[in-house]
Amino acid sequence: MKHMLGRSFLIAALATTVACNLPLFAAAGEAGTLVVAQPADAYSMDPAKHSAFPTANILFQIYDGLITMDEKGELVAGLATSWSNPDPLTWRFKLREGVKFHNGEPFNAEAVKFTFDRALDPNFKAPYYSRISAIKSVEIVDEYTVDLKTEKPFPTMLLSLYEASFPALIVPPKYTQEKNGEALGSAPVGTGPYKFVKWLKDEEVVLEANPDYWGGTPKIDRVVFRPIKETRTRIAELKSGGADIAVDIPPEDVSSLQADGTKIETVASDFLYFLAFDTTRDTPLKDKRVRQAINYAVNVDAIQEALLNGMGNRIALTLPSNGFAYNPDWKPYPYDPAKAKELLAEAGYPDGFSIPLMTRKGRFLKDSEIVEATAGFLRKVGIKAEIQYLEPGVWGQISEKKGREGITFPGWSGRDPNLVWLPLLKTGQYQSYFSNAELDKLLDEGAATIDPAERKAIYEKAAAIIKDEAPHLPMIQPPLIYGLNAKLNWKPRTDSMIDLRKASFD
Amino acid sequence: MAVVFGVSLAVFFLIRIGGDPSALFLPPEASMEEIARFRHLMGFDRPLVVQYFDFVSRAVQGDFGMSLRYEQPAMQLVLERVPATLQLSGMALALALAISIPLAILAAAWRGSIVDRVSLLISLIGQSFPAFWLAIMLILLFSETLHMLPASGKGGWQNLIMPAIVLATYSTAIITRLLRSSMIEVLQSDYIRTARGKGVSEGRIIFKHALRNAAIPTLTVIGLQVGALLGGAVITEEVFAYPGIGRLAIQAIANRDFTVVQAFVLVMAVTIVTVNLLVDLSYGLLDPRLRKGR
Repeated sequence: MKHMLGRSFLIAALATTVACNLPLFAAAGEAGTLVVAQPADAYSMDPAKHSAFPTANILFQIYDGLITMDEKGELVAGLATSWSNPDPLTWRFKLREGVKFHNGEPFNAEAVKFTFDRALDPNFKAPYYSRISAIKSVEIVDEYTVDLKTEKPFPTMLLSLYEASFPALIVPPKYTQEKNGEALGSAPVGTGPYKFVKWLKDEEVVLEANPDYWGGTPKIDRVVFRPIKETRTRIAELKSGGADIAVDIPPEDVSSLQADGTKIETVASDFLYFLAFDTTRDTPLKDKRVRQAINYAVNVDAIQEALLNGMGNRIALTLPSNGFAYNPDWKPYPYDPAKAKELLAEAGYPDGFSIPLMTRKGRFLKDSEIVEATAGFLRKVGIKAEIQYLEPGVWGQISEKKGREGITFPGWSGRDPNLVWLPLLKTGQYQSYFSNAELDKLLDEGAATIDPAERKAIYEKAAAIIKDEAPHLPMIQPPLIYGLNAKLNWKPRTDSMIDLRKASFD
Repeated sequence: MAVVFGVSLAVFFLIRIGGDPSALFLPPEASMEEIARFRHLMGFDRPLVVQYFDFVSRAVQGDFGMSLRYEQPAMQLVLERVPATLQLSGMALALALAISIPLAILAAAWRGSIVDRVSLLISLIGQSFPAFWLAIMLILLFSETLHMLPASGKGGWQNLIMPAIVLATYSTAIITRLLRSSMIEVLQSDYIRTARGKGVSEGRIIFKHALRNAAIPTLTVIGLQVGALLGGAVITEEVFAYPGIGRLAIQAIANRDFTVVQAFVLVMAVTIVTVNLLVDLSYGLLDPRLRKGR
């Protein structure tokens, strides 16, 4: 008590001294400046040279892709205005005419070819190479038409060309080739709504509105991105007016912030929380009834309510609700511990069993809490899940040896069954610990079909197998939670990319 | 030099125990072939010993490699951030000395008085408060509630106040405690009693005779505190989003950005070795007996 008194006296004394001497520091939101506080700084200003979302958030204001995502989550025209498939191995794009890069270079077919040729060159070492590696060549048809050629039919091409596919953002050929490509990494030039002004490393990136933007002049004059790792500090900046958008607000802070007049925007992300079962080793998980029992045993709705404030989206299968071929009629297994016990007894485990549960800690929002709650539900039906927290590097090493044993909480994202079910469930895939010949056949068909209606029918059949075989326990699309200046109008996106093209202050 | 070399060797191998960063760099859906391909491109598939000799042979020529994350030389990244950290640690050290020296002198001179008790209290609190907790409390009070100081960043001198206080707290406590006890010890020694007997004024006794002798052990601790301040800056910079080397180091470790971690550790090792050398040399300035002894 005595200590505390001494301390508060000291602080009060200091406070008075400081208060008498300080001018009020500049607040955000004034004079059309928007400050975004996110956990990390940019790594590079070259869109093909990084692999981090905070960097992508900054670069997406500077650059555009051929395709973009609208407010409803649909993939729509960006720098390309229309597209078609003259044959299953060709995607033909008509390009927007009259668009110029910030330095005056014209945007045309040559820029598109240059962008992909550069990022696809193995010596360039683009970290997100795999997102665009299906493109085998880019052919210029005329000044405003390009053909993207693939070796196999590539139905998810549009997802490989929109902004979350980092190296697909279009760069200016002349400027990029100057100074051996190093100019782009520090002083970027794109076609986007904001022009680069300055980058003080670990401090701020400053951008200003591009009045000639092809999508209309942005309503906010200046944008500043500030890297603030510590959550409490980001919240303090938001509350004290030092930031207009604070990224990654913890769910437990939402109600107190709202009570203080802060605006909260939240959306269920494209990300997927689920448990994956290793069916390649000889454990009880090999038995379908055991996997179904686990699906019945865990009350995912209660976990979502208690740990995520009910935010996010409960999923029936490992596919986000905005994913291709998603069907709202799909229903998850209901919470039914009695049924779970029955199935376990049927499978020969009336007293349950022990099994490792491998995961990482602090990688995703509330991951360890969710895993622990899940283990609690499993214990109630007799399954002793032994939780092992692995350091990310170790997790990577184990994964490379296909060593994920028992139950895992891996996390995944993807808006098409071809990007989720194929890598996670097809026999022999790096991330797959499951095998079903019939499903393999359907997934291969889906991957080789371009026609959307045909693909939907294929994936509907695949969904029925996945539901019955239960290789996963599908859980939640976790929420993305942002704190906003009450005067700011801005909506978050499911892919976590920040788009300021439509943002405005009241 | 041997210390710096040993440190570089230890760091090189320790940081690689947890595996290489290839998987962390690539998107999660990257296949095993893609990870292997990237690993080969980056040279991480070579034997560790080969990689180490490659590192050393380049390092002696001043080339510490490119950062894996940033498209920049690793040493340049670290050195760019040194001024910010020096500014912060310098201010913290100045603050610590400005509080601890007068406090310790007063406490020793009036042993058992209120001043002495306050000094003990500050030492106790300062040593026991974790830096990150104190930092968050200050942010809550001065930024969120009172709106007086910016919570983060490096704009003007206002941005330095809270981080410097946090960083100075521990050092203030240690230096106060040590200087107070050395002063008390010296004040009880025979030559001080003799001086008092000869009628030398109390002020002259404290500042001319006692402080000078009590300063030597204290100086050793201050030297050690420079290391502690630089180390403490890692947490403080992270909480206050202050663009110094500590924050860079945390990110580099999380990202397995080997070259940056190596450059950071080397810079820290060289700094600490240099400060210790300066402290050793300064003993001679304070105490002529030590000078003659050499």
